[in-house]
Amino acid sequence: MKSIPPDNLPDFFNSLSATFEVRLPIELPDGTRTLGNPGDGPIALHGGALPGKPTAAFFPQQGPVFTVAGGFVAEAPSPPRPLFVAGFTPRDLDCLRFIDRFFAEGWHDDIYFSRRRGALVAGVSGRCGPGGALLPPAGGDCDLEMVWDGCRWLIVPYSEAGLAITSELPDSAPSNALDQIRQASEALPDEEGTLIRRASRLLRADRVPDSFWAEIGERCIACTACNLACPTCTCFGVQDWRYAERVERSRMWDSCQLDGFMREASGHNPLGTEALRTRRRIHHKLAADPERWGEISCFRCGRCDAVCPTGIGIFAVAREMVDRFGSGG
Amino acid sequence: MKRTLTVCPYCGVGCTFYLVSDAGRLVGVEPSVTNPVNRGGLCVKGWNAFAFVHHPDRLTTPLIRQNGELRPASWDEALGTVVGRLRSIQERHGADAIMFASSAKATNEENYLLMKLARGVFATNNIDHCARLCHSSTVVGLAEAFGSGAMTNSISCVDRADVILVIGSNSTEQHPLIGSRILTAARSGARLIVADNRRIRLARHADLHLRHKNGSDVALLNGMMHVIIAEGLADRAFIEGRTEGYPALAESVAGWTAERAAAVTGLAPAEIIAAARLFAGGERGMIVYSMGITQHSHGVDNVRCCASLAMLTGNLGRPGTGVNPLRGQNNVQGGCDMGALPEFYSGYQKVTDQAQREKFARSWGVASLPESPGLPLTRAMDAAAEGRLAGMFIMGENPMLSDPDQAHARRALESLEFLVVQEIFLSETAALADVVLPGACYAEKEGTFTNTERRVQRVRKAVAPPGEARPDWEIICALAERAGYAGMRYPDPEAVMAEIASLTPIYGGIAYDRLDPHGVQWPCPEPGHPGTPILHLERFTRGLGRFTPADYRPPAEPPDAEFPLVLTTGRTYFHWHTGTMTRRTHLLDREERRAFVEINPADAARLDIRDRDEVLVSSRRGEVRAQARITEMVVSGVVFMPFHFAEGAANALTNNVLDDESSIPEFKVCAVRVRRAP
Repeated sequence: MKSIPPDNLPDFFNSLSATFEVRLPIELPDGTRTLGNPGDGPIALHGGALPGKPTAAFFPQQGPVFTVAGGFVAEAPSPPRPLFVAGFTPRDLDCLRFIDRFFAEGWHDDIYFSRRRGALVAGVSGRCGPGGALLPPAGGDCDLEMVWDGCRWLIVPYSEAGLAITSELPDSAPSNALDQIRQASEALPDEEGTLIRRASRLLRADRVPDSFWAEIGERCIACTACNLACPTCTCFGVQDWRYAERVERSRMWDSCQLDGFMREASGHNPLGTEALRTRRRIHHKLAADPERWGEISCFRCGRCDAVCPTGIGIFAVAREMVDRFGSGG
Repeated sequence: MKRTLTVCPYCGVGCTFYLVSDAGRLVGVEPSVTNPVNRGGLCVKGWNAFAFVHHPDRLTTPLIRQNGELRPASWDEALGTVVGRLRSIQERHGADAIMFASSAKATNEENYLLMKLARGVFATNNIDHCARLCHSSTVVGLAEAFGSGAMTNSISCVDRADVILVIGSNSTEQHPLIGSRILTAARSGARLIVADNRRIRLARHADLHLRHKNGSDVALLNGMMHVIIAEGLADRAFIEGRTEGYPALAESVAGWTAERAAAVTGLAPAEIIAAARLFAGGERGMIVYSMGITQHSHGVDNVRCCASLAMLTGNLGRPGTGVNPLRGQNNVQGGCDMGALPEFYSGYQKVTDQAQREKFARSWGVASLPESPGLPLTRAMDAAAEGRLAGMFIMGENPMLSDPDQAHARRALESLEFLVVQEIFLSETAALADVVLPGACYAEKEGTFTNTERRVQRVRKAVAPPGEARPDWEIICALAERAGYAGMRYPDPEAVMAEIASLTPIYGGIAYDRLDPHGVQWPCPEPGHPGTPILHLERFTRGLGRFTPADYRPPAEPPDAEFPLVLTTGRTYFHWHTGTMTRRTHLLDREERRAFVEINPADAARLDIRDRDEVLVSSRRGEVRAQARITEMVVSGVVFMPFHFAEGAANALTNNVLDDESSIPEFKVCAVRVRRAP
C-alpha cells in the first residue's frame, strides 16, 4: 500500500508543481482553511470540508468570459498548466461529479472545462474529518484518494494519471490499512443522508405548506452565502465593463435568493418573495433535480449550514421539515 | 492565486474576509472563519465587496478644472494647485476660511493624518466627517452620561442577553451580521422588543413590536421609565452605587404616565407598560440603536433616554447588557477616535485644553495649534452657502447625496471659491470640484479600521491602485510636504499608528504586531494590555453614570394639509450610502436599480397609486421621481425612501434642521406629499 508520511507531504506536492498548477488545502494566517497554492500556508488536509467550495478551482466566484479590443475577441485564457486540486472530501467529489455532468450536458460550458479538462483531482478521507472524525473513503470519482489512517496518508490511485504521479511513492503502509478504514466506515450512520432523503420525499409528496416557507423566508437575510458556498450551485450572472480601450465580459456566482435573479423586465417577479425563493432553493436540490438528473443534488457537504448567519442551511430546514411534517413515508 | 486578510469596507460591524486575487485582479472573497465578529459569515455586500474595485469608472489620474471642464493633470500640478489655492484663501480670509471633511471610509491612519494636516499645517480646527450625520448625537449623549461615546459592550454580548431592545435600527439590513445574531438570539429564547414603525425583519421575530410615531422616542422611553419606577422595577442598588442625577430623572418622568406617552407616540398604554416590564424584567438587558434614534433635531435627547433606561435598570458594565449604538460606516468609530472632529484631537482629547494643545504641538513640531473648536460639517455647509467659507477639502465623502436638502448642499459647494475632492470615483460631489485627487480604495492600501465594538483591525493591500491613484495617506503626506511641513514623512501606515499610539491614551497599546489575527478593542492604554470588550465594568469612564432628563420635543416639520405625509429616510440592504461602490457592483445594482418610495396600501389607495407606479414625492425643498412600492412595511401616514439614488435623491426632500447640541440633521422626519407622476 502506497503512503506518504505527513512530513513528506510538502515534497510530494512540490514535486507536482513542475507539471501542474497545484491547489491544496492550506491554513491562512487567522486559521481559516482554504484551497491555496503550496507554500502559501501550512498544509491543512485535516479538518473535513473546506469552508469554501473546492469546485471554485474550476468555477471561480468571478472570472473572465472574453475581452474585446481593437475589433478582436479574446476568449478567457486557459491555465498554462493543468490543475491538480487536492482536498475534495467524498461528499465534495459527489458534488464535482454532479456539476461535471451539469456543465457537460446541453450547452457544454467551455470556460468551466478549460480549467476542468486535464485537471487531476485528489480526494481526502479517512480519520481527517473535524476533530479526527472518520470520512468514509470515496473509492473513486477522483484521480487519487489520500486516506488518513491516523499516522500516514494512504495513497489510492484510481485513474491512469493518478497512477502515474504516485508510481514512485513507496509501498510503506500495511496492505490492510485501507481495508481497516473501509470496515470502520461501514459502521458509520448516515443520519444526514436519511434526513435529506426524508425531506426530499416530503417535498415531492407536496406535504410542506407555503406557511412553512413563509416562516423560513422571514429568517433569510439574503446574504446569498448558501448559494455561494454550495458546490452544486452553478448559476452565474454576467457583466460587461467598458474600459477606454477594451470591453471585458466576466461572470460571477449568482444567487436564487436574490430578487433580481428571476425578476422580469416588467418588474414582475415569479419568485418575488423570500418565502418563494427559500422554497425554490431547497425544492430545487431535493425535488426538482431528482426529476431532472435522477438524484438529489445536495450531497450533504454541510457548507450552507456552516455559513448561514441565521441557521437556515439545508440540514436545519430539512430537520424542521421532517420534525413538523413527518418522515415522508 | 493570492489571499489577503482584510476588513469589509461597508458597515461598522467589521467583518473580516480574504480578498482572493489572481494576476493582480480580485476574483472573490472568502470570509474569515475564526473572527469572532462574523464567524465565517458575510452579508450580501460583503460577499460582493471585491466587485467594484476594478470598475472602469475608477479615477486614475488627478483632474483639474479648466474652462469649466475637468482635465487630467499630473500629481505635481494637482498638489501644487491644492496647496497654493488653500493657502491663498487663508491669506485673504483667515485660517478658518477652509474646511476639511475627513472620511469614515478611510483608515484610522488617514483620518489621523488629515486631522494633523488641518490642525498642524493649515492651522484650523475645521475638520469633521460623516459621523456628524450619523452618530454625533451618540458621541455627545453617551459621553455626557458615561464619559465615553462608544458602544459599551461587544457584539458577542448579543448571545448573552436575555432581553434586547432594538430601537431605531434595522439591524438585519444595516448591520447584517449583528442583526442576524439578534434574530438568532430571539429564536433561541431571548426576548426581543423592536421599537420602529417600519415592519422590519426583526419586528417579525419580536415579542413586542412598537410602531410609535416618528420622532416620538423620548416620549416612549420616558413612558417606559415612568412605568419602571412606578412599579418598583428599577435597579436601586445600581442607581445608588453607580450613578448621579437620579432624582432629576425621576422627577422628569413622573409626569410621563403610560397614557401620556401613548397619546404622543400613538401606541396603546398597554404596549408601553408591556415594553417596560419586559425590558426591566430581564437579568441582562441590552439596548441596540442606530439612526432611528440619532438622526433627529432632538437626537441627543433620544440618546440620553437610552442611557437613562439602561442605568435605571442596571444594565451596564456586564456581559449581555449595555447601550449599543451600531456605528454605520466601516471606520466611523475610527474617524471619531482619530480626532476627525472639530473639538477633539485623537482619543477625544479636547482642542480647548491647553495641555493637550501643547502636547500635540510639541509632538508635531509646530509652534502652536488653534484653540477654539472648528465647524461641524453641517454648520460648514451652512457657512459655505452663506459665503462664510471659501475652501473645502473633501476626502471620500459625497455630500451632494448624503447631506440634507440637496439644493442647499449644491448651493454650499458651488459657493466655494475652491473645492478639492479626493475620491475613488467621480461622485456627484467630485463632479463639482476644482481639483479631484484619485485615491486608492480599501483593497489597495494598508491601515486599520475600528469597528462598532471598538475593535481595531488591519486593512491590507491586495492589489495595486489603478493608474496613478494613490492611497489617501500618501496624498495627505504629499500635500503636507508641498505645504512646507516636514513632519509628515512616514515609511508606511504602521509608523503613523506608532505616532497615534504615542499621543492617544485609548490607543496607547495599539501596534500592528498586536492586531493579528482579529484586532484589539480599545481602550488599550499600554503595550500588553488585552483590550477592553466591555466598558464601564466597575466604574463609568467619567466616574458615576449621569442621568440627564430629556423632555419631549416634536420633530421640526410635522405633516400638515399641504404636505400630509411623514418622509423617513434610510438605506436599503443592497446599497451603501450614495451608491458609489454598490451601484457599480453588478449583483447589488441589479437588486435595487432605482429610487423607490414605500407607501402603505391605505395611503396608496387614497392617492390612487398602484405598485410600481411612477410617483413624484415633494417637500418644501424639492421634488423627486421614484417608483411606488406599496407595502405594509410602513404605517399609514409615513413613507420611506432610501438616499442612494442620484436620480431620485431622497435628500432633495429632507430638512436641514439640526440638533442644537450635536449638529446632526433631522433625516428621519420631514413632511412630503406624493402623487402619481403625470
